[in-house]
Amino acid sequence: MVDQKELINAVKETVSREDVRYIVGYEEGTYGFETAPSFAYTSDDARKFIFNPLCTKNLVVYPILEEKLPLKREEQEDDRKIGIVVKGCDSRALVQILQEKGLKRENLVLIGIPCTGVVNTKKIKDKFPNQTEYTDVKEEKNHYVFSIEESVQKIPKKELLADVCKECEYPNPVIFDILIGEETEVETEPTYIEVREFEEKSLSEKWEYWKKHFENCIRCYACREACPLCYCKTCMADFLDPQWIRRSVDLSENTAWNIMRAFHLAGRCVSCGECERACPAEIPLMKLNKVLEKEIRELYDYTAGLDPEEKTLFGTFNPDDPEEFIM
Amino acid sequence: MSKTTQITELNSNPNVVLFLCRWCSGKGADLAGTSRLHYPTNVLPIMVNCSSRIDPQHVVEAFLEGADGVLITGCHFGDCHYKTGNYKTFRRMALLSRLLKQVGVNPKRFRITWISATEGAKFAKITTEMVEDLKKLPPYGKNGKGGDS
Ligand code: SF4
Ligand code: SF4
Ligand code: SF4
Repeated sequence: MVDQKELINAVKETVSREDVRYIVGYEEGTYGFETAPSFAYTSDDARKFIFNPLCTKNLVVYPILEEKLPLKREEQEDDRKIGIVVKGCDSRALVQILQEKGLKRENLVLIGIPCTGVVNTKKIKDKFPNQTEYTDVKEEKNHYVFSIEESVQKIPKKELLADVCKECEYPNPVIFDILIGEETEVETEPTYIEVREFEEKSLSEKWEYWKKHFENCIRCYACREACPLCYCKTCMADFLDPQWIRRSVDLSENTAWNIMRAFHLAGRCVSCGECERACPAEIPLMKLNKVLEKEIRELYDYTAGLDPEEKTLFGTFNPDDPEEFIM
Repeated sequence: MSKTTQITELNSNPNVVLFLCRWCSGKGADLAGTSRLHYPTNVLPIMVNCSSRIDPQHVVEAFLEGADGVLITGCHFGDCHYKTGNYKTFRRMALLSRLLKQVGVNPKRFRITWISATEGAKFAKITTEMVEDLKKLPPYGKNGKGGDS
């Protein structure tokens, strides 16, 4: 568990600095088990900040999404830093963006949180469907503790933990300026068991599975908006000339969109799981992302988002790349 | 979009979209022609300056527009006119092929190969092989997407 006081104090101290504009973190949401992003411009705003296993969102999208308004005459650009509260995966997304030169490290202050995993909010909602007010969740060793209407309920962590967190290798922020609390011990090695099992299926079984899901896609692009690494100024899905993907919502166009979205994140996706969380059609997008992650690791021994100085996967090559797929 | 409409107008079975790089594979294909080698008319050749010009999007687009197979050709490693283009193509396309396989597209439908300017015979052999392979599979593009076995 993260010490709430330590977090608030760190935010207060940081936001009072001359060179910091604001800090984005988490606050209590307005209903159920959702937290909401919170912006602290003054040290007073820091009071609202929380961190608990409900803080699923990847806040790295905010500095990327920020709109830069044209400057008025004689106005100076505000180049003060932006602070972000980051978990392990969030920090990796940031490293990846730094690698791609989408942001500059000197414009950021990172408040790192050693993560012990976040919950799958959909699963909690199934357990407590009538909970409409914000409800806090505490973590105690291997249990999550819910205090609902004066009764305390303990649920094993395994049951509610988000899938991406089960195989998380980097729960500790890989870059940070301030670390809140002690580093988490890492126990897991990804096994890619799901991907491997899926690989065993026949081609038609695979297609039936995806067909069922892709038919449900409504092309809302929530997966893209939630992803910290989908920050292209114009997404290929929005191009009109040439129009790579037609706007009609039908199976073939949806398939093209989902394949291309996954592919554009090859060697960049850091498995934060935001895309899948954001998808209203409950399409298992991580299953596509994980295929690529596994292959990239096996073929090219490459992991995204670890070192800001490293070259990107597709920007480099190795003459010894395995060639087994050439005809 | 004019290129892609041609695929459906081709109306042969199977339709294969063939990407050729200008410097090696394109010349290889020319050689196959001038040597009077026979190769199937099912292929729709599209010439690009370098195989690395081919975006995975083009491949997906070809399938969407009715291709039953896509064949990418380029220079052999070390021979690329732009030195390293084909290495980069290869990384991308190898991953795309794995991804397509996981979505249920038969790997026989998407191939990549290196053909030099002197390999007219290889060009004829590979296009024939690919078309023969695809004849054994149900049509992909026109009769509903996917459903491969
Ligand atoms: S969030 Fe889901 S429904 Fe929306 S575009 Fe992405 S995959 Fe489709
Ligand atoms: S594709 Fe999904 S899991 Fe990967 S970085 Fe983007 S939001 Fe996170
Ligand atoms: S889907 Fe591709 S083009 Fe669109 S924003 Fe994401 S990375 Fe950029």
